[in-house]
Amino acid sequence: MSSDVILVIVIVTALAFDFTNGFHDTANVVATSISTGAARPQVAIGMAALLNFVGAFISISVAATVANDVVNAEVITPTIVFAGLIGAIAWNLATWYFGLPSSSSHALIGGVVGSAVAAAGFDAVLADGLVGKVLVPALVAPVLAFLVAGLGIGIVYRVVGKQRPGIVTRGFKYGQIVSGGLLALAHGTNDAQKTMGIITLALIANGSLGADADPPLWVIVSAAAAIALGTYSGGWRIIKTTGTRIIKMDAAQGFSSQGAGASVILASTHFGFPLSTTHVINGGVMGAGAGKRLSAVRWGVAGNIVTAWVLTLPAAAAIGALTYGVTRIFGTGALGPVVVSLMAISLIVAAFARRAQQGAPVPASSG
Amino acid sequence: MIATLVEGKALLETVIASVVASIGVTFAFSVAIWGVGRFADLSRNERPLAAAGAAAVASVALACVGAALVAGIIVMTSN
Repeated sequence: MSSDVILVIVIVTALAFDFTNGFHDTANVVATSISTGAARPQVAIGMAALLNFVGAFISISVAATVANDVVNAEVITPTIVFAGLIGAIAWNLATWYFGLPSSSSHALIGGVVGSAVAAAGFDAVLADGLVGKVLVPALVAPVLAFLVAGLGIGIVYRVVGKQRPGIVTRGFKYGQIVSGGLLALAHGTNDAQKTMGIITLALIANGSLGADADPPLWVIVSAAAAIALGTYSGGWRIIKTTGTRIIKMDAAQGFSSQGAGASVILASTHFGFPLSTTHVINGGVMGAGAGKRLSAVRWGVAGNIVTAWVLTLPAAAAIGALTYGVTRIFGTGALGPVVVSLMAISLIVAAFARRAQQGAPVPASSG
Repeated sequence: MIATLVEGKALLETVIASVVASIGVTFAFSVAIWGVGRFADLSRNERPLAAAGAAAVASVALACVGAALVAGIIVMTSN
């Protein structure tokens, strides 16, 4: 009974995390299409939310990685998963509050690894999976998107450079409808699967699923719905602030950056690599800018990504471990997670209230 | 060690797939736009045969883009 209560708390928390992931990432997914005028904001956001939902159904490789290849499911309990989630949410909240760069995906993995180590020692971590499927791809993917987008825009300018600009711009705006759609699909499939993986891990830990089980359909549908709703809700905030976070680029650059981001995320998803989709999308945008003019690269954004790489995993792991320690003060039952949940909700409300008084925070990256 | 090698192979395949898919589609779509632009120019200059050739190039390039997208979706969903 007590573990079922914890399981319900984990599932609700994971879906809330998924919703905020979509909410944060709308800007990254639709900004390029809106910036170049390829799509009206309402259309771009509606399409992104719909394709986020669809994307969650096309693969379960990333979910399998999160559920089976990062921590040893045999020693994991629902309380460990809960503490990991709280570690990720707390780190995201702290970075949002202080305007520091972050990555929701890295925070999620870091939080679960930290709480697992606190509960069962380093044997709970599957080092091969963590390094080979999370850490190395996290470093490679944004650089790859940067290079592919830079190379792509070089080819575009070489092929259509002497054509009349009107036809080229119109053509790439049409192309962006497809490349933007693919990017939203890619975002949905990689990010929603992390939540599916976490819920599946909790179900395995609770004994509700066998070891190495795939996510049940209800988990896939609920994770897909949560990220799509988050994307749609976040979109209306973006419409109100259009222009503040939008990067100016031409339609060919938009097409190239979106194509690079989508191909890297989709290929990585196929092989089960959980990525920071925001980092990959930013890598593509910077690559398309650099391909036209090196000075167009926003080195500040690049610095933020590096900072997020360095900070997020260990910080979220530390908070996850601390959270696990706090829950154990109240024993092994449901009381610990309930108390921590109430504390977390109070902190979130307080942070939002304080931010509302102070004004809008500096946006930190997620995804 | 074996696991690391397998991930290395998967990572290499990810890199190759990303480069081939993105660069291939970008190149094909650029050629399609080039073809449309040439078709418009040549038609205006009353060179119907050359215009038809440009239109054919654009059509083949667009077909390649469509085929690449369909192939990509089939590969993704077959996993």
